[in-house]
Amino acid sequence: MKKIFINIAIIISFIFIYLLQANFFTWFKIAGVMPNLLIILMLYIGLFMGRNSAIIYGAIFGMLVDIFISRKLGITSIMLVIIGIIADLFDKNFSKDNRITVMTMVGVSTIIYEIGTYILSYFFLNINIEILAFIKILLIETLFNIILTIIIYPIIQLTGYDVEEAYKGSKILTRYF
Amino acid sequence: MYNHKKNGFLGIIITVIILIILVIVTNMETSKLYNFENVISKIILPVQNVITYLQNKISGNTTFFADMDQLKQENQELKEKNSQLEQQLRELEIIKAENETLKQYQALAEKYQSYKTIPAYVINRDITNYSKILVINVGKDDGVEENMTVIADEGLVGNIISVTSNTAKVQTIVDSASSTSALTSSTRDSMVCKGTIDGTSTLKATYIAIDSNIIEGDSVETSGLGGIYPKGIHIGKVTKVTEGKNKIDKTVEVETAVNFDRLETVLIITNHN
Repeated sequence: MKKIFINIAIIISFIFIYLLQANFFTWFKIAGVMPNLLIILMLYIGLFMGRNSAIIYGAIFGMLVDIFISRKLGITSIMLVIIGIIADLFDKNFSKDNRITVMTMVGVSTIIYEIGTYILSYFFLNINIEILAFIKILLIETLFNIILTIIIYPIIQLTGYDVEEAYKGSKILTRYF
Repeated sequence: MYNHKKNGFLGIIITVIILIILVIVTNMETSKLYNFENVISKIILPVQNVITYLQNKISGNTTFFADMDQLKQENQELKEKNSQLEQQLRELEIIKAENETLKQYQALAEKYQSYKTIPAYVINRDITNYSKILVINVGKDDGVEENMTVIADEGLVGNIISVTSNTAKVQTIVDSASSTSALTSSTRDSMVCKGTIDGTSTLKATYIAIDSNIIEGDSVETSGLGGIYPKGIHIGKVTKVTEGKNKIDKTVEVETAVNFDRLETVLIITNHN
């Protein structure tokens, strides 16, 4: 029952984030660059729900975004799945109890996602190579995502451990003692 | 514990404020600084009004409490009148918005009379920083097909890249994978305009003859080569001309006539091909 509720909440979050990205963040930009909240959502799923959920959600959400707005299917899907897997790796190697650690995870995930998307877009969509412009976008987007993480961290902390308990069971003894 | 929570909340508020300031500052044009003054005066004016009102009331207005009943009745009547007026205002606003949209369609259709066109609204925008694709609210059922040209009042928008029964995706000319064959209106120098990944209103034009006479301010329009766009549709204006170090190539920056950030209404040309 709890899992069904969590899944509904994740789907609603995705819809909310998509609408936010397509409307609010098309004008609420830093130097013309918008953030990518989908990366934070995928990181959340990977960290608290585990790798399998991250792969399934990454593939579905990515496919939906590609259908809605992209020219070719697959690029967003592949990259969101990769972020989900990376989030699971983060979970196994780092503690997510600390705000700074989560901010760093978001920063690293954003950099990996954007570099991957840019490379795939170059090969599949034939976009121009503009290294300096890309680095500018990459840095601003990473900064934007980190700032947003600071704002939504209380929500992550408040809901994350309930979600983790529902999906992975309480591992606190095996992990810390 | 309490202090920790309090500090965390304060931190979030400070972060939100910094974020808003960042967004405003980075998007502000220096020529529009006078807006700042307007905003300040808009904030201060109501406060000043309240202070003046209180001053007037305190300084010897002895008739303030006189005839309360009459005032109450009057107040009631005014409230009713006010709600009626608000209702009328809402109706008028709806009519005004409809009128505005129809006017835009009319202006667009008149400007491009030789083409058969379908009007459409932009209903979705790209959520990434690298591509600039739009989704519009017409599709196959309305007669829209792939490769049709999309224009706006100011000029060229892009072309249709995929269609569903009632929506269509438009690849804009500012998309980094888009190339548009173009000419300058006065000197007829040809060029290829490409979108850039970091600009929503700038095109980079290449393949320009070194002996061409392009100068800043020249108007740029479609050349008709390539078969997608019809000839003579306005694209924008030249803002910068750069010659290569060895003087064997030339690049030009073109500012698009269309403001893609605020684009809402478009027309699809259906009879070009």
